[in-house]
Amino acid sequence: MDFTHFFMTWIDLRLLALVGAGTFAGIYIGAIPGLSVTMAVSILISFTFGWEMYDALALMIGIYMGGVYGGSRTAILLNIPGAPSAIATALDGYPLAKKGLAGEAIGLSTTMSALGGLIGIAVLGFAAPAVSEFAIRFQPRDYMLLAILGILLVGSLSGESLIKGVFAGALGLTIGCVGLDPLTAQERFTFGYIELWGGISFVAVMIGLFGVSEALMQLKHINTPALKQKITRVIPSWKSVLKFLPLSVQTSLIGVIIGALPGTGGDIAALMSYDHAKRVTKNPEVPFGQGARAGLVAPETANNAAVGGAFIPMLTLGIPGDSVTAIIIGAMFIHGLNPGPMLMIERPEMFWFILGALVLATVFMLIFGLTGIRIFVKVVELPRAMLFPLILLLSIIGAFAVNNALTDVYWMLGFGVLGYFMKLYGYQLGPVILGVILSRLIDDNWRRAIISEREDLGRLFHGIFTSPLSLVLFMAVVAIFFTSTPLWPMLKNKLRKAAAKKDA
Amino acid sequence: MHDPNRRLPGERIFSVLMVAVSLFLFYTATQISGLSGLAEPGSFPMFATGMMVITSTIITFKTLRLPHSDVHGWKSVFPGLVILTIILMGFYALALQPVGFLPTSFVFLTIANWVMARGNPLRAALTSALSLVLVYVVFRLVFSVLMPEGIVPEREILAYIGSILNGGVK
Repeated sequence: MDFTHFFMTWIDLRLLALVGAGTFAGIYIGAIPGLSVTMAVSILISFTFGWEMYDALALMIGIYMGGVYGGSRTAILLNIPGAPSAIATALDGYPLAKKGLAGEAIGLSTTMSALGGLIGIAVLGFAAPAVSEFAIRFQPRDYMLLAILGILLVGSLSGESLIKGVFAGALGLTIGCVGLDPLTAQERFTFGYIELWGGISFVAVMIGLFGVSEALMQLKHINTPALKQKITRVIPSWKSVLKFLPLSVQTSLIGVIIGALPGTGGDIAALMSYDHAKRVTKNPEVPFGQGARAGLVAPETANNAAVGGAFIPMLTLGIPGDSVTAIIIGAMFIHGLNPGPMLMIERPEMFWFILGALVLATVFMLIFGLTGIRIFVKVVELPRAMLFPLILLLSIIGAFAVNNALTDVYWMLGFGVLGYFMKLYGYQLGPVILGVILSRLIDDNWRRAIISEREDLGRLFHGIFTSPLSLVLFMAVVAIFFTSTPLWPMLKNKLRKAAAKKDA
Repeated sequence: MHDPNRRLPGERIFSVLMVAVSLFLFYTATQISGLSGLAEPGSFPMFATGMMVITSTIITFKTLRLPHSDVHGWKSVFPGLVILTIILMGFYALALQPVGFLPTSFVFLTIANWVMARGNPLRAALTSALSLVLVYVVFRLVFSVLMPEGIVPEREILAYIGSILNGGVK
């Protein structure tokens, strides 16, 4: 009876409390600008290292769900999206707050986030078993292509240039290679140091890139004052919820699909849904951008629906949808789980457990979201001079706690400084962590694929071109590369000119 | 936010440095198993570092062609506060094992808080002490993370508090 694990977090008081605490913490972490869910989850991994797997997952799932939602609050109240997935929320949320409707905006966004979250989880529940059944038939080359596609998507969609994204991804892959080769035990990038045989701890890399570098970056704006808002009635009326129900179902579905694509997450889902709402809402009460409620509902449902979506490739293929799921995959590895199509066969109870925890986190999100807003405003106004030293301290403890070794602390510091400069000069950090996590998978599957074709590249390509799935994946990889070369704008220009000629 | 059409101070050096690092790593990758086959331990590292070399070179050429941004001087991109924080963290890591978690963290938090808030050192010490208590309770006692004790006989103190509490129950 694996299905009974769905209720595990609901019945077990300890797990219930952990999901609740995680969601609560996630809301605040997501809301405080400068603190991100990625940062929190990466620091927490090291502390939950010695825990039972169920406990650790319960806490992390809570933080993830709460964090995606939490960003909306500061977006509405301060016009500062607490997280990238709340960028679209600020567009109409802040104008609503300026009109004195902050309470209503928060209430509506909370309810709709919960609705979107539930729809996303429902899709996960139905789609994941089917996807993993399908994924069992994947060839090693398909895994390799899918993983490369994931890194490329994160690189191309999240930053200013794909080239910088590819560089970041390749850097991550290289970092992931450090240590003894898993197949032949040959040393790779160890430079003669035995300490490097086990590789660079990915937790140290993660905390450095997402904890330290982010905090260092924020030090530049340490003295920006916070704005104050008055909070009115929070619980939304049935009428307004019902009014936006059709739109929210549509945007939730957009959210799940975008979330499920490897490499794309809540931020892109939110922006695309906002765009969708703009197109389908014929007569908004006020124009979009000036406080239209539809413009608030759409991104909020979509980004929470994307959470359920992001778990689909993660659980069924072992390929993370974004940096947070990359970190959760890392955590699952640490606890001896192997996300991928076999997970559903070997450990089906884990799947139900995660599903149950996600639903519970959504319920907690709704409860915490509709209460305690006044205290919330006070916490967000906490002086950053108090906050940042604490984050840095936690980063150091976190890196140290993994192996009780100072080496990891130095790695973390190094990657923190590198991450600072990469961020400063417009390099994306998401692909680095995806690269580190996926390095082993790509390496293994590449070698399996090429060995099964007797090390003949021609045969490998023949295999790719004769399998529909491999072909689609391969074409997607090629298309992403093509759009970043100078050929793409040239082609677009040509097409535009041809169209203009036709019109004339 | 970084403006992709302008070059920040230090961006040129950083991109050239990335090319150098990539070349070095690529060279190291070629030494793993040579160019003997496609499924060797070194083939994937060569692919990854090769990508690094190609992309970093393109980035460098693009960066060199960009006009300079309005931001001048390395201080604008690497302010004193950031440098100080990194140095402070380095010292923290060095002192952590010999001196121990509690005193090192207290000094670290106090200095960082004092410098960042530009306020009263006494107030910084007080807030740091409070945050340290919170961190200690959450991470040492709830998450049971073991941190180096150093000069503070932590275990004895905890045992002593425990015995008082137990004695009180009796």
